Amino acid sequence: MTGPALIAAGFFSWEWVVNHLDDIWDRTIEHLILTGIAIVVGAVISLVLSVVALRYRRTYTPITWFAGLLYTIPSLALFAFLVPVTGLSILTAEIGLVSYTLLILIRNIVAGIDGVPPATVESARGMGYTTRGLFIAVELPLALPVIMAGIRIAAVTTIGLVTVTALIGQGGLGFFIATGLTLIHSPVGTTQIVVGTVLSVVLAVAVDMSLVGVERLTTPWSRKRAAT
Amino acid sequence: MVSEESGNMIEFFGDVAQWFGDGANWTGAEGILNRLSEHIQITLGATAVAAVLALPPAVWLGHRRIGGTFVVAAVNIGRAIPSFAIVVLFLPISIRLGLGFGFWPTFLALLFLAAPPMFTNAYAGVAGVDADLVEASRGMGMTDREILTKVEVPMASPVILAAVRVAAVQVVATATLGALVGWGGLGFFIVRGFATRDSVVLFAGALLVAVLAILTEAVLGTLERRVVPPTLRERSASIETVVA
Amino acid sequence: MRKPFRRTVVGATIVAFALIASACGSGDDGAAKDGPTITIGSAAFSENALVAEIYAQALEADGYNVERKLNTGPREVYAPALESGELDLVPEYIGTVLRYLGGDATSDSDETHAALRLAWESKDIVVLDYAAAQDKNGFAVTKETADSLGLAKVSDLAAHNGTLVLGGPPECPERDFCLKGLESVYELSFKEFRSLDAGGPITVAALEGGEIQVGLMFTSAATILAKGFVLLEDDKGLQPAENIAPAVRKEIVDAYGDDFKTTLNDVSKKLTTIELVSLNKFVEVDGKDPEQVAAEWLKAIGVTE
Repeated sequence: MTGPALIAAGFFSWEWVVNHLDDIWDRTIEHLILTGIAIVVGAVISLVLSVVALRYRRTYTPITWFAGLLYTIPSLALFAFLVPVTGLSILTAEIGLVSYTLLILIRNIVAGIDGVPPATVESARGMGYTTRGLFIAVELPLALPVIMAGIRIAAVTTIGLVTVTALIGQGGLGFFIATGLTLIHSPVGTTQIVVGTVLSVVLAVAVDMSLVGVERLTTPWSRKRAAT
Repeated sequence: MVSEESGNMIEFFGDVAQWFGDGANWTGAEGILNRLSEHIQITLGATAVAAVLALPPAVWLGHRRIGGTFVVAAVNIGRAIPSFAIVVLFLPISIRLGLGFGFWPTFLALLFLAAPPMFTNAYAGVAGVDADLVEASRGMGMTDREILTKVEVPMASPVILAAVRVAAVQVVATATLGALVGWGGLGFFIVRGFATRDSVVLFAGALLVAVLAILTEAVLGTLERRVVPPTLRERSASIETVVA
Repeated sequence: MRKPFRRTVVGATIVAFALIASACGSGDDGAAKDGPTITIGSAAFSENALVAEIYAQALEADGYNVERKLNTGPREVYAPALESGELDLVPEYIGTVLRYLGGDATSDSDETHAALRLAWESKDIVVLDYAAAQDKNGFAVTKETADSLGLAKVSDLAAHNGTLVLGGPPECPERDFCLKGLESVYELSFKEFRSLDAGGPITVAALEGGEIQVGLMFTSAATILAKGFVLLEDDKGLQPAENIAPAVRKEIVDAYGDDFKTTLNDVSKKLTTIELVSLNKFVEVDGKDPEQVAAEWLKAIGVTE
């Protein structure tokens, strides 16, 4: 089999897409939900760990070392390893997905807070802010750009990783990719792979842009963006 | 050998140690050594090719300081492409092109993974060189080419090298997906362990990948330190956090 | 998750439609059955996914609520999921699964089926009637290889021990009806084993490209004929009876009773090996949509209108 014509012919079937619009919609929603849970849970855990790391500086290295270690474990291995323990469930997928968000979120939260000018902190303290009030009302908002940069990266990465969860019975859009893998010789299979891939990318870009929008809304005072 | 995952952790790690201790697991086409060498080869290959493809244009565009938003947008899209999808997507293309399965889909997916962050960081690094410094150099009579090679690239080198390092480590971890389309590498053990419900092999495979990733990080990190003058190192750390 | 609902634009309306539509059920005949949703899984190859789709549509036509989780993975992954309740129904091959559970499978379908029923009883899994259709592990070579090496039976491979590469799914080296059996019963040894997929397109590509000389293919795969491969005869009888039979969780059978069993058994009755191969051909060779193939077949055999 040779030639670009043969590649193009019988590769993509609009008919399949039109017949499966509701499946595609379902899987997209599923994908977003899996991503959303991972980011929210990951953010909460990262925030807690960051507070600890900021309070007790010595813990920063071991904490990021551990998160970094999780990050190095190949996603396929992590999910596969959890299956005998937590089954083919959303929990398995989420444990893996959340683990991969920790490194980038912790790093960016800490860097963001560290990046708040000491002068600002001092004057706020002078105005009577307590340590906790300071953190919530002053430091976090000022760190928001850097934190949001981290959330954006974590979100895009997670959307990509969700596709792998198709191999453990979850999947979102990854479902189409995994099914396509068993049917690659037929347009039904290749179309699904294309649909899964393209929509994952579209979703990631859409989420990324929405987060930029969210960032602009919540930090009107900060126009300086990190170079991402 | 199929072994059930025992509730006893010590017993489990004992099994893993035993697996590593079995000489038969190291030799042969399916052995650790061969898989390790396959994995290293594809990592070196993909990282090198990605660097060759991504760095020169990025450095040039950064030097010219043009196309900033386009660059960022294009690269964001690149980062958004899930590697699993690319590996599977290239499989039928590769087969129809007569390139077979296994290696090429995996290699291409790794290129797509490594090139974008290298591109962004090289661009940001070069474009981000202090404008005053560039002006001063121009004032001293340096040609455009000299500014690029003697000022901008050296100044951007921490960021560029950091990006290569980060990309290489990600390639190591992601190359495991190749085993899903008939390639080998260390992912072979992971897929095998998953398919036969042999947690020992699965864990051993994951461990090997993690160790290789850490080694890659360490080796490239040391190289970085040798090449980059100490004064520039601090700068790279803060940029890496935000941009990487 | 799969709910039959219409495509709409506004998010809130979609949820409303989803709620309304799922309450109405997916078939136009028969009232929606009250009871647990039936989650159907399958192995990660097209034939099993197709058979699962057929059972799924047959159930939906009778008003049952069905959720699909197809292409779940190898048996080592979906069987525990069935036992733990994450899956409710999987179309199984009686010989291999009996062996997987530790039993002895023979070439007698009745015997094997009865033994399987017994083996799974303790795990609260019911095996319904078996279909005439069988799909056994087969070992295929290209016509060129068969001609040049003089291969017609599996035992012919012994003359070439140590020189040939075998390709199959990652679990093959551990399976009695795959590499393990070839080594013990046929006393074969291969130069190398390549981990590919379960008789799927990657294995086909590997055979065609010469990266493997022998590939595991399923005996009901239409691709074998289409590609002109030669299926080596299992002359030592390694492969047992491998009729297809749905394995269902007892709680589902108890919840729905005899009607449920009849729906599935009626489908199984019509599934012969010849039917199976032609269904596979539509999907594997003609590239048709498995869902369409399933729907058209169910109509043709009179299960749906």
